[in-house]
Amino acid sequence: MTPWTLFLILTALGTLVAGQLLLKWALNEDEDPAPPRPARQRRALVFAGGILSMTISFFVNLGLLQQHDLSFVFPFQGLSVIMVVACAWLFLKERLTLPLVGGALLITAGVILVSAS
Amino acid sequence: MSTPPAARPWFFNPYVQVVLCILAGTAAEVFLKKGADATHNLPSAVPALGLTGMTSGWTWLSIVFTLLSFFSWMSAIRLLPLGMAFPLTNAVQVLVPLSCWLFLGEGISPKRWCGIVLVVIGLMIVAKPYAKLDERL
Repeated sequence: MTPWTLFLILTALGTLVAGQLLLKWALNEDEDPAPPRPARQRRALVFAGGILSMTISFFVNLGLLQQHDLSFVFPFQGLSVIMVVACAWLFLKERLTLPLVGGALLITAGVILVSAS
Repeated sequence: MSTPPAARPWFFNPYVQVVLCILAGTAAEVFLKKGADATHNLPSAVPALGLTGMTSGWTWLSIVFTLLSFFSWMSAIRLLPLGMAFPLTNAVQVLVPLSCWLFLGEGISPKRWCGIVLVVIGLMIVAKPYAKLDERL
């Protein structure tokens, strides 16, 4: 794997995780049925940021797929599991349980094994 | 006296939406690879972005399934915590290699099978406490 490929994989991964966090953040803000206008605008902006971030991830991923096998590229996205779980705990204040961390680590290990084979 | 909220139709159950998201996501990845394979020889000004892939019908089919997966995902994470729902969507990690093997003729080595088994065990561990909680509700 070249450093450029690694950079593209990390970009696809980072923008995917950021997109997920922004979308969930916007949906959490959605709980107020009649929010004031600035809150509505902020929510729309965060949602648009999430969509933009995931769009970047999509096109970088498409570029990677043109150069490599799907079974090589796709498993790297599995690393996003542990990143999303950690970021959801850190930024969205979601509960972190032992089974959740253990399960996420097993999934990550499985994905690394799949990508290394 | 306030009226109780209307029961949610089964289709909009967040777990059903997670399953739909997984199936549509798997189909989208396989179609995306077919689109990428069909266009990888086309000259492009920005090869890293794979924009030439947009000339293939497979890529557009992939976009349709990506959107279906996205809307299911939105519906699911509206009710489920992100840190729990996201690991569940990694069932795609099992379904994509199986689909590659079935539809694209790519091989699965014993090491890859071991990885798939680990992912499945991880998914079961993550999902189990929430399945129990759902049964109690």
